[in-house]
Amino acid sequence: MSDTRNDGDGLDRHVCERCGDAYPSARLLTLHRGARHPDDLTADEVEAYREAYYDEERELKSFRIRALGVLVLLYFGFLILFILFAS
Amino acid sequence: MNRTTTLRRFGVSLLFASLVSLLAAPVAASNGAVGLAGASQDNLAVPQWLYLATGGATVGASALLASFVTDRRFIEQVHSWRASVALDDVVRRGLGIVGSALGLALLGFIVYLGVTGPQTPTLNFAIIVTFAGLRAGYTMFTYLVGDTWRAVNPWRTVATVLPNGFVEYPHKLGRWPAVAGILALVWVETAAGVTRQPNLLAVAVAGYSVLTLLGALLVGPEDWFDCADPVSVFLRFYGRVAPIRWNDEDGLSVRLPGMRLVTDDEVTDLADVAVAVVLVWELTFSGFVTTEQGAAAITAVVEAGLPALVVYGVLYLGGFAAFLGLYVLAGHLTVRRIETFETPRALAVRFAPSLLAIAVGYHLAHYFGFFVSLSPMLAGALSSPLSPPANPVVLTLPAWFGALNVVFVLLGHLLAVWVAHSQAYDTFPSRMQAIRSQLPFVVVMIFYTIVSLWLVALPTASPPFL
Ligand SMILES: [Zn+2]
Repeated sequence: MSDTRNDGDGLDRHVCERCGDAYPSARLLTLHRGARHPDDLTADEVEAYREAYYDEERELKSFRIRALGVLVLLYFGFLILFILFAS
Repeated sequence: MNRTTTLRRFGVSLLFASLVSLLAAPVAASNGAVGLAGASQDNLAVPQWLYLATGGATVGASALLASFVTDRRFIEQVHSWRASVALDDVVRRGLGIVGSALGLALLGFIVYLGVTGPQTPTLNFAIIVTFAGLRAGYTMFTYLVGDTWRAVNPWRTVATVLPNGFVEYPHKLGRWPAVAGILALVWVETAAGVTRQPNLLAVAVAGYSVLTLLGALLVGPEDWFDCADPVSVFLRFYGRVAPIRWNDEDGLSVRLPGMRLVTDDEVTDLADVAVAVVLVWELTFSGFVTTEQGAAAITAVVEAGLPALVVYGVLYLGGFAAFLGLYVLAGHLTVRRIETFETPRALAVRFAPSLLAIAVGYHLAHYFGFFVSLSPMLAGALSSPLSPPANPVVLTLPAWFGALNVVFVLLGHLLAVWVAHSQAYDTFPSRMQAIRSQLPFVVVMIFYTIVSLWLVALPTASPPFL
């Protein structure tokens, strides 16, 4: 489905056959094809896309928890600052 | 009545309404705010550093909140929502003719009355229409409603009927000539006294007309007004934020405000990034030199022995270079943070359209109050160009409206955060990458927010030595 060659930067180029975009990893190419050309995928590729997608879901979940932490900190931090300094 | 007729009728009345509001905009918008900062500082019961930090944190927090939205389909739905209204050919041509006639008449009156009219700025048609009308009101109309300049532009009207296009426009220059032109026009506006002396303004407009016509005839109006003419490029970039666009194939197309910035790949190279940056920078610069603190800083440097024009010039061009450099730097940092073959420059180009949303917020903060308080004057000038009223009316706006400027700055940034978010999802296949790619750009936006919130809260002064 995709050809893989090295472009001399030490990074593999995983090129999308359909639109020519290149990605540094097979996982990113899978995600690209799943998001951009969903009708082109074979059953195996759909499976691979699902897997990569849910893999990323885990990463996103941990990011969301951290982001929520920062938001809570910001909110209470500013609440305290306003109580102390605003008049 | 069938559906097409209803739609067409709706289209005609919508267009008519927007033309009317173009002429009558002052009346429609006169429940507004104060101009140029001024009154707001005394209202702030919080210390300045806390006010600035809160503004910066608002932008940062909204970027974090946006990062919770990871559903590609939802994001795409928001920025690709559209409605279009077919327009009759006859109506379209008619409106085009009306627009051209208006443009030519305004240009003629500005030059003629600038020279022959009363030489008091508040009484002179040229000054009122150029600054309250075009610089403030028409620019607002362009980004809040739609860009009509193509039809109105008097120089295009003239250039298209004359023989033109003797030389090919050097396309490798991109829009850099327009960047230089916008910088030059803002410089003339700040330093040459055209805002105070009507006859000088008339001469400047006449000179600009000659240059523009020469350019447009030489390379042809299409390329000239697309790439080189500062006024056209300025309005066209602002017009990209607008919900309505006039289109040859499907009449009027309506989108959510700012969402064309995501889908229409109209920013294509570094020159286009520079145009977007210059729109943000010129407002920041004029904001700075018209505050007491800015004036004091410039006075201090000049008294240390440097010529005033050099100080202004270095500040003006140096600040522009710094703003542009920061944006390109954000591109470099992004490339280092994630695995991608995108180049730093390509990313700066990708994220540049969000700057236009920021520029819109700044423009409103700088000009909305100004426009509203001068709107009776503008209406008077437009309704009877040849007989100026003896006592021009200026609306006095309540001081608490100063808070509105803060709201405008923040709203512009919030829209920019969403545009950048959508843009990131369009660019990167991985959602995690989309989130991480935005961080450097969000940091730059927080910096811009803090600078301009600081500026809108400072008391105003007139720039020294000019
Ligand atoms: Zn592809």
